[in-house]
Amino acid sequence: MAAEGENGPDQEGWNHLIGAVAATQDRGAFAVLFKYFAPRIKTFMLRSGESEAGAEELAQETMLAVWRKARLYNPEAASAAAWIFTIARNLRIDAYRRRQRGTALESQGADAEYQMDDAPLPDKQLDAMQSEARVRSALKQLSAEQIRVVELSFFEERAHGDIAKVLGIPLGTVKSRLRLAMVRLRQLLDGLS
Amino acid sequence: MSVEHHPSDEMLAGFAAGTLDLGQRVAVATHLMSCPRCSAFRRTMEQVGGEMLAGLPPADIDAGALKRLEARLDQTAAPAAAAARPSIPHTEIPGLPDFVRRYPAGRWKWIAPSVYLRPIVLPAPSDTRVFLLKSGPGTKMLQHSHTDVELTCVLSGAFSHQGGRFGPGDFDLGDETVNHQPVVDASEPCVCLVAMQGQLRLNGLIGRIMQPFVRL
Repeated sequence: MAAEGENGPDQEGWNHLIGAVAATQDRGAFAVLFKYFAPRIKTFMLRSGESEAGAEELAQETMLAVWRKARLYNPEAASAAAWIFTIARNLRIDAYRRRQRGTALESQGADAEYQMDDAPLPDKQLDAMQSEARVRSALKQLSAEQIRVVELSFFEERAHGDIAKVLGIPLGTVKSRLRLAMVRLRQLLDGLS
Repeated sequence: MSVEHHPSDEMLAGFAAGTLDLGQRVAVATHLMSCPRCSAFRRTMEQVGGEMLAGLPPADIDAGALKRLEARLDQTAAPAAAAARPSIPHTEIPGLPDFVRRYPAGRWKWIAPSVYLRPIVLPAPSDTRVFLLKSGPGTKMLQHSHTDVELTCVLSGAFSHQGGRFGPGDFDLGDETVNHQPVVDASEPCVCLVAMQGQLRLNGLIGRIMQPFVRL
């Protein structure tokens, strides 16, 4: 089993654990995934406006989906955390929708809406452009501060003024840092093609 | 032909984060079908989402949660409901994402000379209405602006306005600051997917007279 540090296993460790769940329904591997991700998925759900009970339930549903979909995970296309994030995101959208309508979910949920596999582009071209390695090498060249403002702005939906307070930097710096991060990412992704 | 007009980075980030309104998400998804560049950006943003998730402070999880979940692991998942038959078959309207084809679609309705609209029914309430818009070759749309955001993704044909020429896959954003008069290419009809909040605002005397009749 992969060494488990303070931040959980590393990227390869996570891939190995998901692989073990996929190949042999390894419950020990699943327990490691659960212990690290379930509490963090719950935080994500709470910050998205879910109730305590709702967040707990969605964390469980996300992990159950990780168990069931482990065979579909492709480490070439996404990091383990990104894959789990997309499962959590889609379940959150479905839960929000169920509440809005107060009825059972229609046959296709948010999963279908994010499924872009039928794109008419040649697969090889898509694969090359979207590969995990390519994306990771672009992200690596961003500073931790740059990635943090992107996270806060888009994934935690914080207002710029709020981000300034959280990070203890001037509002103008938040705006310029965010803009530079996005421009830089675009350049890096284009440059790698 | 390569795609030249793209959604903003902010919109792609909102797509990846899952915070974009459903109707707008449909428009962005349609663009992503033909744009590997924006698809790569979307994947990158999902990667950032993964880093965000892995870096969050852990919440308290009920002590028996893992045990209870383990008891469910052997249960097989409820069989997924059969995917609805597409209301817009693959032989029609190239460039439309599969999930949009499976949404109920209305009939083509005449809304102005050589302009037809086909509503798409979203599965959940949205601030945005989504429809297909088909305009005959050479159609000059009335000069208009928008009360809110309107997103357009070209599926076939092309149109031009002050912002440039828009062909298949191209993405256009109109809002209250944009006042334009799109003109469809003379060679072929233009079909677009439109995600519209608010109302169109037609300008000029003829526009104001027409307004009650073309409530989009």
